[in-house]
Amino acid sequence: MLDWLRFILTTGFLISGLIILLTSVIGLYKFDYVLNRMHAAAMGDTLGILFCLIGLTISAPDIWVALKLLLIIAFLWFASPVSSHLIARLEVTINPHWQQLPPKENAGEEEAP
Amino acid sequence: MSKRRSDWESRPQARFRKWYKEGFLALDNEIIDHLTRTTELPENIEDRLIAQQEEMTSRQHERTLALERLDQYNMLAWARTRGRKAISRLYVILALALGAMMIFFLLETVALMPRFGDPATPGANIVSERYITKGLEETGATNIVAGMILDYRAFDTLGESTVLFIAASAVLILLRIDRNKDGSPVQELIAAESDDRHYEPRNDRILQGSAMILTPIIFLYGIYIILNGHLSPGGGFSGGAIISAGLILYLDAFGFDKAGRFFTYKTFTWVSFFSLSFYALAKAYSFYCGANNLPSGIPLGTPGAILSGGLIMPLNIAVGMVVACTMYIFYALFRKGGL
Amino acid sequence: MTFIHVALLGMLIVCALAVSLTRNLLTSLIVYMAYSLIMAVIWMFLESPDLAITEAAVGAGITSVLFFVTLKKIHAIKGDSDEQAQK
Repeated sequence: MLDWLRFILTTGFLISGLIILLTSVIGLYKFDYVLNRMHAAAMGDTLGILFCLIGLTISAPDIWVALKLLLIIAFLWFASPVSSHLIARLEVTINPHWQQLPPKENAGEEEAP
Repeated sequence: MSKRRSDWESRPQARFRKWYKEGFLALDNEIIDHLTRTTELPENIEDRLIAQQEEMTSRQHERTLALERLDQYNMLAWARTRGRKAISRLYVILALALGAMMIFFLLETVALMPRFGDPATPGANIVSERYITKGLEETGATNIVAGMILDYRAFDTLGESTVLFIAASAVLILLRIDRNKDGSPVQELIAAESDDRHYEPRNDRILQGSAMILTPIIFLYGIYIILNGHLSPGGGFSGGAIISAGLILYLDAFGFDKAGRFFTYKTFTWVSFFSLSFYALAKAYSFYCGANNLPSGIPLGTPGAILSGGLIMPLNIAVGMVVACTMYIFYALFRKGGL
Repeated sequence: MTFIHVALLGMLIVCALAVSLTRNLLTSLIVYMAYSLIMAVIWMFLESPDLAITEAAVGAGITSVLFFVTLKKIHAIKGDSDEQAQK
């Protein structure tokens, strides 16, 4: 019974995490502007990895492996948002028109020429 | 006659006599006179003839000089057009010959090697079987790979560490920008720094805050991998790379000024020197004898304990320090040309 | 040779081809990072975790960072805004 519960929880978390990652990848290719793409990539990446690793933690054979996986989750939750913040700040720094151009107009401009 | 006279006037004895007779003022006047005197034609015929002769010889001399220069120019022109073509053709031929030679020798070596996966070769049965069966009791390391690369094949690992050190030295020679003697930065360095920081957010608070938390954890993880190298997967190379990644994160977050407080050229030099020389000295007797697995005098300890495996853990630490310093100095030199 | 081995090897070949065939240097560099990561997983499957750790730290981490710095120094990284300005 407990094994079945563990199996169902693991598969549920893994599949939902993979679906979130797939969504983020689709968003990455669908959007045109840098900030939008970064938004999709960063959010989906963080949440999807969280779900996948929680699934793996539940299915871990050992308490130490589970603790290591929790440490990996903490590390990724530190590293991933900071890196996406840096990308966003870089875009804001080097592009002076990032506020004037709404994403849709910008996308239209990119297609026009 | 006139030559001798002018010669006589410029000799030290004559100058001394003049000074003795008339004092310093005469010499000064003479110098001023010499400087302000314009060329005037000599008056008597003999001097004029001599002057003409001198002019003729000087013209001839100039002509020969010009001819020589012309020859030189022709030679340069030859070097510029045909010589360059010949040299480039020579380069191509030499490169092709060298490539063909390399290919030939490598193919020859490969042809002489035993077939891949051949069960009859000693490398596939005797050596690996001995490593697997006797590795634990001879080296005392639970991780057989660490026992192999730091005990049986320690010479290879010394060569790898030395190659890293040589590569760091070469990068240092090629990319380093020297400062002035009083320590102020050169124009080139300022230009490199501004070019480097052009598109980069400076002193980002979020990055600094997360680096404050993450850097010690990364260091701790790298140190764990190095110290645990003989018990679990890992070792000097991977642990050193992780520590250098932490150093690079610190450098990116806080800039060169803060990182320069604890890591300078002196640190790099001394750490590399002590690590490599410790490694070489610790294993020198084995290298010299060509025999592996000589008793080092350090007890092997119980397998699985952290203080076991004899020399493997200190050697892991040495390799890890070399790798960490090398990777960090690569990054710093690539970015700014200095530490 | 399970399904995941075959999939990983296929992705490895695709990445190796893409590194050499892409025009943009930045793209090929990122594909190279993916190549290193897949290679690390393959080392893990081949039961050599030492090499896997080293590959992940050196191949995917530090080498790519050094390549990025080099590309930035030779001004080979060009974003969309630069291309628009050139047009």
